[in-house]
Amino acid sequence: MENSAQKFDAQVLSRISTLKMTAMNLVDGLLTGQHRSRHKGSSVEFAEYKDYSPGDEIRHIDWKVAGKTDKYHVKQFEQSTNLKCTVLLDTSGSMGYQSPLDGHSPKMEYARNLVAALSYLLLKQFDAVGLTLFNNQVVEYIPPRSKASHFQHILHGLANISPQGTTAVTEVLGGLAERLPRRSLLVLVSDFFVQNQDLQKSLKLLCSRGLEVVLFHVLHPDEINLPFEGDMIFESLEEDPTLSLDPQDIQEEYQNAIQDHINSLKKDCNGLGVDYVFLDTSESLDQALSYYLLKRKSLIKL
Amino acid sequence: MSLNFSSPLFLFGLLGVSIPILIHLLTRRQQKQIRFSAVYLLAQSRKRSIRKSRPNRLLLLLARCLAIALFSMALANPLFSFRQSEAFLSASPASIVFILDDSYSMGIRAKDKTLFDSALEYITEGLNKSADNSEFSMILASSPARIEQDWTSDKSTLTAKLEEQAVSYRTTHIGEAVDKAIKLLESARQKNKQILLLTDLDKNGWKEETFFGLGAPYPIQVLNFSQLQSDSNKGMVQSIQVSQEFLTRSRLLRVKAEIKNFSSTVNRMPLSLFLEGKLVKEKLLDIPPGQTLVQEFSYPLRRNQPLNGKVQISDDALPADNSRYFPFHPSQNIQVLVVDGDPETISHQSESFYLERALNPFSVSLSHIDPTVSTLAELPLRNLSDFSVIILANIRELPSGYELELEKFVLNGGSLLLGMGDQVDPKYFNESFGNLLPVRLESQYQVREGALHLLLKNNTHPVMKVFSPKALEEMRGINFYSMYTVQAREDKKFKVGTWFSNQHPAVIESEVGKGIVVLFLSSLDRDWNDFPIQPTYLPWVQRWTQYAARGLENISQQDLLVGEPFRKHTKDNKWIVRSPDGTLHILENEVFSDTFQPGVYRLFSLPSANTAEPGLLTKLPHEAHPVGTFTVNIDTRESESGKISQKEIENLLEGTKLEFLEPQNQTAQPKTSDGIPLTTPFLLMVAGMLLIEGWMVRKE
Repeated sequence: MENSAQKFDAQVLSRISTLKMTAMNLVDGLLTGQHRSRHKGSSVEFAEYKDYSPGDEIRHIDWKVAGKTDKYHVKQFEQSTNLKCTVLLDTSGSMGYQSPLDGHSPKMEYARNLVAALSYLLLKQFDAVGLTLFNNQVVEYIPPRSKASHFQHILHGLANISPQGTTAVTEVLGGLAERLPRRSLLVLVSDFFVQNQDLQKSLKLLCSRGLEVVLFHVLHPDEINLPFEGDMIFESLEEDPTLSLDPQDIQEEYQNAIQDHINSLKKDCNGLGVDYVFLDTSESLDQALSYYLLKRKSLIKL
Repeated sequence: MSLNFSSPLFLFGLLGVSIPILIHLLTRRQQKQIRFSAVYLLAQSRKRSIRKSRPNRLLLLLARCLAIALFSMALANPLFSFRQSEAFLSASPASIVFILDDSYSMGIRAKDKTLFDSALEYITEGLNKSADNSEFSMILASSPARIEQDWTSDKSTLTAKLEEQAVSYRTTHIGEAVDKAIKLLESARQKNKQILLLTDLDKNGWKEETFFGLGAPYPIQVLNFSQLQSDSNKGMVQSIQVSQEFLTRSRLLRVKAEIKNFSSTVNRMPLSLFLEGKLVKEKLLDIPPGQTLVQEFSYPLRRNQPLNGKVQISDDALPADNSRYFPFHPSQNIQVLVVDGDPETISHQSESFYLERALNPFSVSLSHIDPTVSTLAELPLRNLSDFSVIILANIRELPSGYELELEKFVLNGGSLLLGMGDQVDPKYFNESFGNLLPVRLESQYQVREGALHLLLKNNTHPVMKVFSPKALEEMRGINFYSMYTVQAREDKKFKVGTWFSNQHPAVIESEVGKGIVVLFLSSLDRDWNDFPIQPTYLPWVQRWTQYAARGLENISQQDLLVGEPFRKHTKDNKWIVRSPDGTLHILENEVFSDTFQPGVYRLFSLPSANTAEPGLLTKLPHEAHPVGTFTVNIDTRESESGKISQKEIENLLEGTKLEFLEPQNQTAQPKTSDGIPLTTPFLLMVAGMLLIEGWMVRKE
């Protein structure tokens, strides 16, 4: 009942349409001049030769090689199927941070636009996209589909997010690793404010299953710079104890700590061949996305 | 060690310290609340930076507070002193015995008050700061030391007792006071026990014999108040000798005073003679430093009346020793009956010729001895009660039964002097004078060759002590050709006043009843010796007569020291003593002990019919009539003894935990000499604090 009620919530509907427009604008701009070439070359790429064995299709025998070597070799091609992508979005309390200082978009708003844009992009490429929302457990699961209408489901899932709870990335990833299709793409969007959790181990598990993992690390500038002044009481958005201090006293230490955190995460990703994308919510999302996609494209060409 | 402020009003500026504290607290209260994502990271960062950040704010606050506090203290003109002021009162409850030296040397002035007043203030102020449940007792250390207040926990009781105290005129007796304090502490309740001795360390109070075996098992803190002394005791009247000189028609009072200069410079001071309260003579003395000068006053006496006077020097820091009192009581005439046992028609051949002239050389009014010469035949006509002394000179035999009358005369207080001669019948004397004479007369001893002499080894006898060594030498040269030998009676006590060179007694005296019998074993004229024509004969005869008549122990000649008891010689009547302060005491016993005030004490006799109760009187009864005076003076040893050193005290109280403290003059304005001025260092510290504060603010 609650879900059906949410479906008709005017606020949610408005959010969905805004999200859709944002995503479409973003992706259309990005795909200009790329769509066709990417669509053609994805299914007929030669992979390797193999000795003929009974049962192989005769039409795949390379007759030129048979003429030269008098042996039958069969050409093998990469399987040209649609990409399956699962987007994991962190909906823990920390993702709901809203700055009291400036008009930067809330972190969750930024992440939501990111996920919508990526989903739209992938669906435009006829790839299947699914969405999993989690905090300390999986909150909502939308399985990957490649239908264009599936975008609406995803938007609806995104619109209904209300950040709460603690973050348990490793447990959620551990649970999902078995269920995710092999050799698919996993996009993980989070602020990665996790304590005492071995993220590297979980990533390693995912990689070992042939998954291509992309990490989007979304942080608000306040979380990076700690620009507050005066005596303040910090209430945790998750379950950490309340803290009373003058942020100026620890600003330097905090900045170092957060940089260490980012660097550590980046280092772990590089070590595992995982794409790590750092996103500051003060940066425009289209620039950040286009920069990433260009970088990715250049890597594929190599 | 202590810190004093000469302008303590500026210390109110210390309240300004509250300003930065208030600002600190108020700014802390304006906290914003924010919901934040990475609180755990904040906590981790704070853990790492807590050593740097949090103390900075507190240090900033501290620096600001210190700057304000130091500035207000600098304005208050601080003086640092190593002297300790309130060390004696421990924070925990204690049993404290205050030994308060109230000897007159504590009366030395220190600015506007005496050392004794400072000691009282010191105790009073200390009491207010002492721990609750402490108990106190107080011993006054002047001689004799006495417990003035037994153990009390009530501070108001002791304070009231302190208010009653005044400096005495007595000497110090620390040893006895410490002994009493130890005994008091044995019954004390608290475990923490101590003795606090407040004294001027006058050496007179620390006699070695009083500390024999006196190791105090409790700590003693010695507070030396002599340090507060602002002025010095310049001099004192050490002693007075009063004598009289006889002139043809009058007599001259001679007062010889010894004045000592304590200062290190020549002391010019006026010396005044007061008689009956009036200034009669004054002289200006120049006394060399540390020396004693003898100055004599002569004052003509026109009336034969008793006088009381005092000699006084100019005022100095210690007024108690600047004056000394003396009594003068002209001797009464002594009625003497001289019985001549060998009268001659040629007067100078009579036995009594020399004697009479020796007793009264000029006239009755001057010698105070009024001799009456009588022959044996005239004797029954005389009334013996008219005479104080009867001299029997060379008599053979008294009229029948007269010896019993003579015996009654002596037993009632009369005196009998016997001189030998060729008329004396030893048998008669031995038989008839058995009760009066302590010896038997044996026989006449005549010197065949040469002569006998008097053996005058010393002059301690009251009669002989006035004779100078030269006079004694002259007396030793007198030739005695004949004398009587005697044999002691077994049941009689007697004293030999003088010996002959042949080891026989020359003068024998014995007390019989209230009277006295003196036996001279040679002749009182020139028959057996040359004595009557010697210059020493006259004073010798007069002194023996006065002695026999008890004239030498006249009550008016009692010059006592403070605390010495006055002894009454008669038991006849009740006496009243009027002290110098005017209080009246009825005296029934023979001893009056309340002589703790220097000055003239007047004696009055009450008729025996008066039934006044012994004790204090408010008014002198009408029927009381004056009988004499005596004076009481301070013991000057307290003035001139100097100060005892710490080392000497440590030797006296070996084994005792001693602490020597110097009390601070609490009411006086601190002088530069009282400590090191700290205004400049404080201001420098203020500047330092402001620099640190600025640096910290800049760093933030």
